[in-house]
Amino acid sequence: MLVIFEGTSQVETTVRAVLADILGLSADRVAAFTADTPLFGALPELDSMAVASVLTELEDRLGILIEDDEIDGEMLETFGALVTFAAGKALV
Amino acid sequence: MTGLRFQHYDWAGGREAMLRFGPDAGPIALAALPLFEEANRTRQFACTILRALAERGIGSVLPDFPGTGESLVATADATLSDQRQAYSALAQQLGADIYALSIRSGALLEGDATLAGRWHLSPQSGEELVRDLERARAAAGRAEGDYAGNRLSSERIAALREAVPRGDGRCRIIRLDTDPRAADATYPGVPLWRRSEPDNNIELAQKLAADIAHWIAA
Repeated sequence: MLVIFEGTSQVETTVRAVLADILGLSADRVAAFTADTPLFGALPELDSMAVASVLTELEDRLGILIEDDEIDGEMLETFGALVTFAAGKALV
Repeated sequence: MTGLRFQHYDWAGGREAMLRFGPDAGPIALAALPLFEEANRTRQFACTILRALAERGIGSVLPDFPGTGESLVATADATLSDQRQAYSALAQQLGADIYALSIRSGALLEGDATLAGRWHLSPQSGEELVRDLERARAAAGRAEGDYAGNRLSSERIAALREAVPRGDGRCRIIRLDTDPRAADATYPGVPLWRRSEPDNNIELAQKLAADIAHWIAA
């Protein structure tokens, strides 16, 4: 699997797995995600309810807490943005 | 008679339906699905576990509680207290050798029921449940009190928020191997309760049925 972010490969792997598990995407499909792959608005599986499930599952697996006022369109715009956000929470 | 039966049970506030699997004699697993949306995502999976338990000679029930499934009580009118009363009444009617098989927030319904043991799959506290509900509500842009179509009063939310699964007595906690929290055992699998489209996992259901059967027999 291609590692896009130096030092955050564990977080990146977790984000890929959560997207696959919650949205029911194939492993091949999420393995092909790059930093620029668009998510919200581009993946029909990722509706607003699924966003809530993805974020809550990320919290559980990474042991992080995401405040509701931190959730915006930007962090979900691309795969890279979501990994950066999750890494910022998990690696501090 | 070990095929699937449709039965009912009575509690102080009325009558609710239940599915019954496996033998009537011996230990009985009392299954409780998660509350609200997660119930729809786990019902088929729970039935697969109960069928696998029946194949191992263990009987089980999958009841509705007030405000869930085919209940005549509207979701908005159901209270956690009523659901716990119904759970306790059912446990008492089933007999002495009753084991809770609770999935996620289903563990919150056990309350003060007399049980021989508690088996919890990825148990969720009321506080975590309310957090999930609030987040889903906000994400869907719903009005306050409207949780994915469920109208829940502020009193109900407050009661749920304070509820915690009981861990006393004979208790076994199972989690998926992706969940870092403490557990007695973990198994590989995806969290079906959070899937956007309902799914099943027959292999995991069979492993969990084996886990439950060994635990009851131990």
